[in-house]
Amino acid sequence: MTLLDFARGPALEWSLIILVAGTFLRIVGTLLLRGKKDLSKPKVKSTAGGAIRTVFNRMWPRPHFAQQISFPLMMAYIMHIGLFVVVFLYGPHIMFIKDLTGLSWGALPSSLIYFSGAAIVATMIALMIRRLTNPVLRMISTFGDYSSWLVTLLPVVTGMMAVSHLGARYETMLALHLLSVELLFIWFPFSKLVHAIFTIPSRAHLGATFERRGVKI
Amino acid sequence: MMTEEQVEKAETLGKSLISNGVSRRTFLKFCSTVASAMALPPAAAQAMAEKLSQATRQSVIWLSFQECTGCTESITRSHKPTLESLIFDFISLDYHHTLQAASGEAAEHAREEAQKAHKGKYILIVDGAIPVKDDGVYSTIAGITNLQMLKDVAKDAMAIVSVGTCAAFGGLPKASPNPTGAVAVSDIIKDKPIINIPGCPPIPVVMTGVLAHVLTFGIPELDIHGRPMAFFGESIHDRCYRRPFYDKGQFAKAFDDEGARKGWCLYEVGCKGPVTYNACATVKWNNGTSFPIQSGHGCIGCSEPDFWDKGSFYKALPQGQWGSAEGIAAAAAAGAALGIGAAALAKVHQNKGEG
Amino acid sequence: MIDMNVFQQFREGIQQMGQMEPEVTLSDEERVTNAKKIFLKKIDRVLATDMESCIHCGHCATACHFAVSTNDPKYTPIRKLDLLKRFYRRELSPLRWMHKLYTRDITLQDLEDWQELIYDSCTECARCAQVCPMGINIASGVNVMREAMAEAELVPVELAMVEKEQCNNKSVFGYGVDEFAQTVEHLRSEGIEVHVDKPRADVFMLTAVIDGLLFNDALIGTIKILNHMGLDWTLSSSNFEAANFGLLSGYEVGQKAASDGIIQKALDLGAKTVLVPECGHAYPALRWDGPNEFGQELPFEILTVSEFVGREVDAGRLKLKKIEGGMHATMHDPCKIARHGGVMEEPRLALDAMGVDLTETPSNREMNWCCGGGAGVFLINRASDLRQKAFSIKIDEVNKTGADTIVVSCGSCRLNFLGGAMQANWQKDIKSFVALVADNLA
Repeated sequence: MTLLDFARGPALEWSLIILVAGTFLRIVGTLLLRGKKDLSKPKVKSTAGGAIRTVFNRMWPRPHFAQQISFPLMMAYIMHIGLFVVVFLYGPHIMFIKDLTGLSWGALPSSLIYFSGAAIVATMIALMIRRLTNPVLRMISTFGDYSSWLVTLLPVVTGMMAVSHLGARYETMLALHLLSVELLFIWFPFSKLVHAIFTIPSRAHLGATFERRGVKI
Repeated sequence: MMTEEQVEKAETLGKSLISNGVSRRTFLKFCSTVASAMALPPAAAQAMAEKLSQATRQSVIWLSFQECTGCTESITRSHKPTLESLIFDFISLDYHHTLQAASGEAAEHAREEAQKAHKGKYILIVDGAIPVKDDGVYSTIAGITNLQMLKDVAKDAMAIVSVGTCAAFGGLPKASPNPTGAVAVSDIIKDKPIINIPGCPPIPVVMTGVLAHVLTFGIPELDIHGRPMAFFGESIHDRCYRRPFYDKGQFAKAFDDEGARKGWCLYEVGCKGPVTYNACATVKWNNGTSFPIQSGHGCIGCSEPDFWDKGSFYKALPQGQWGSAEGIAAAAAAGAALGIGAAALAKVHQNKGEG
Repeated sequence: MIDMNVFQQFREGIQQMGQMEPEVTLSDEERVTNAKKIFLKKIDRVLATDMESCIHCGHCATACHFAVSTNDPKYTPIRKLDLLKRFYRRELSPLRWMHKLYTRDITLQDLEDWQELIYDSCTECARCAQVCPMGINIASGVNVMREAMAEAELVPVELAMVEKEQCNNKSVFGYGVDEFAQTVEHLRSEGIEVHVDKPRADVFMLTAVIDGLLFNDALIGTIKILNHMGLDWTLSSSNFEAANFGLLSGYEVGQKAASDGIIQKALDLGAKTVLVPECGHAYPALRWDGPNEFGQELPFEILTVSEFVGREVDAGRLKLKKIEGGMHATMHDPCKIARHGGVMEEPRLALDAMGVDLTETPSNREMNWCCGGGAGVFLINRASDLRQKAFSIKIDEVNKTGADTIVVSCGSCRLNFLGGAMQANWQKDIKSFVALVADNLA
């Protein structure tokens, strides 16, 4: 079995199994923890509106914070949009998803994908420089922040190297790309990367809590 | 094809060619073709021509094991004699049980004679994989297992050339579930130089080119799979005439769609060109007429190890090579169950803490 | 109206408390065990989701008055929950088997190190929850941390002493049943009609020690409004105190005792409305925590006085006249009443009815900056520098409005404004909302 066969076969299957099982474990295991019924009288009939509103409006900061956080926010936006574009709108990736799920859609031209890839790398480096130099971030950063950064960056870099036929031979680069993606799959449920999912219940809880008190946040 | 008599008369390759009406100009052209195909410097063509025309007959023993004779067919099935076939005729093919006239004990005797006469000097060419399960009983010649015969003949060989994917990597006989325990030559013989010329079948000029190189400059530079870099150094994809479509993102989505008709890249219909190393895209087949991608089918990667076991030929490279999503569904259920369990145990823990 | 001598005495009293030695009765091991018991009890799925979600972006530091004014990264809000997070990961997270391998257990040293972060440098104002892209409610986590600290006997000595006094003597700062009775006498001697211990009443009015001792204007104002509206109201000679030092210190037993007493009294009175005075934390203590501590839904409404006034003005039941000569003012939204209580438009309605020319601070309503003294921080002597730095943000905000008057509807905010202004030599008129309303009844 070659490295590529391993990456396309058992490594892919097992990493997906770990990704799915781990994510379910983490989400279900958290959201089914003890809940408390709040006996105080709410100021509104339903908190659902507040929950939904906060899920969406936290995508953009309030003007009060815009000045301080606009740079990291912009970087994070470019990075996340770039990741979305590369992961979901690159032809070969759509084929990969189609193979897994049966779903497919149109791809963007490869040149746009390469541009997005470069943007991801640039913004991630900028964000890491910020993490390493900003006193607040230095103080609160943990091993998990640095490792998750690396685990996220690796598939982008190996993918770009594979398509541009840099580094090792194509099948080796493709295998390394797949393996780095599989590392990301395995890493995801056990790291802060799972914020991709937790961001929704977490914002919803806050929105509902404040909505209940008559505060629109 | 030259008669036995003609071959016997020719002392050197040069004389043999002249006697067959091949001009020096044609011969030089062959040498420069081979030299350029092998990325040798321009001066090497001249040197190769000199050396080849003066080369004396090289003893070759050709062992065919678990194979389909496709490799032999590839070399011999030509409409007219070619330079490649002439070179093959020129070598002293002392044993090749498909091509030789002798059979039975006489044939085996010829092999043993050649082994003795050219001890340490003959080249061993193998096509076909070697079954090793149950002591190799699944393929025998004259009562001798392939395994035993390979070991015997390899012992006194100068070098081994594994022709075809079966000999080089195990090929189809080794494909899952591999009932005979087939393996490649290199899995058995560890102490001899082995040149792998994989392909199902290999390109004729690649075989002759490598032999020409062995005769003139010795063993060529090999890649990690023991293949001559000259022919296997670049992927099909790298030299494919459809590559610009790949770079532009223009892909055929099906074999009968507009993209297929326009000759766009076949990556998405399963072409294995990007991970297959061979000279098909440059040397081509049938005297340089065409190659699979040119005729509208993706590369199936036949010159790569275990190409038969890498899922469908029509599954694109980015797609996984595994069966079903049942494992994933089971993982979701298992993860959810674990989550329910973890939360329940956490609640028990909390209740105990309060108790 | 405010006796500045009393204010000075009050400040000196707090300073004296700071010189007391904290009392420790438990072994080190017990203190840690007790803290962990609180964590175990208090973590629910909402807090757990918060613990799971942080991406360490650091944005919360831009929202916190302590982090911003000191520029010290140690005050980054989310960092205040590190111990809680560690406990959660080790004990309750679905990945606890994994986290236990490398997450350190909590030690007494950890708890001691966190005391400053949990008390001195956090007013549980929840402004950080407004910036967090993940929607983490850090303030509620800090409240759980305070409860754990209390069980580990790590409450700052001033808060601990006041809490102990409230719990044991039913008095705060020496202001108990007798002192309250004297206040009532005093008010009656001035001709104010004060109802105490009526057997039944529609409105059960509460007051707070600070109003009894210092901010008489707020106490009198509330009474005047109730009398003016001709409502059936009463104070209680035993359950008059709305301030809840159990909540501020994190001592849950004390918190429950204080709020249960009020709730029981309100039930006995058959009250329709419980009126919480201008005391920031008293509102959420009763309004949001009260029913949960008491253990049942309550048949009466709980309103803070500014909420009540605004609602009555809006309904036309309370008429106000325009302030003579007009007034240019700005408003300070107390965190506990505005951001935690949803009372934001009500006081503005009343100010509008009085013709106040209101200029808002750049950050207002649910985005308001805390004055720096909330959640009991105004009591902690050691935090005075920190508090003053945080207050400098408030000074800037108010200065930007150009207003000379600041209307406040929270006693401890007002106390902190007075102290901060005095220290910064900042000349502003700091007015009680309810007193202002009472002066302009039509």
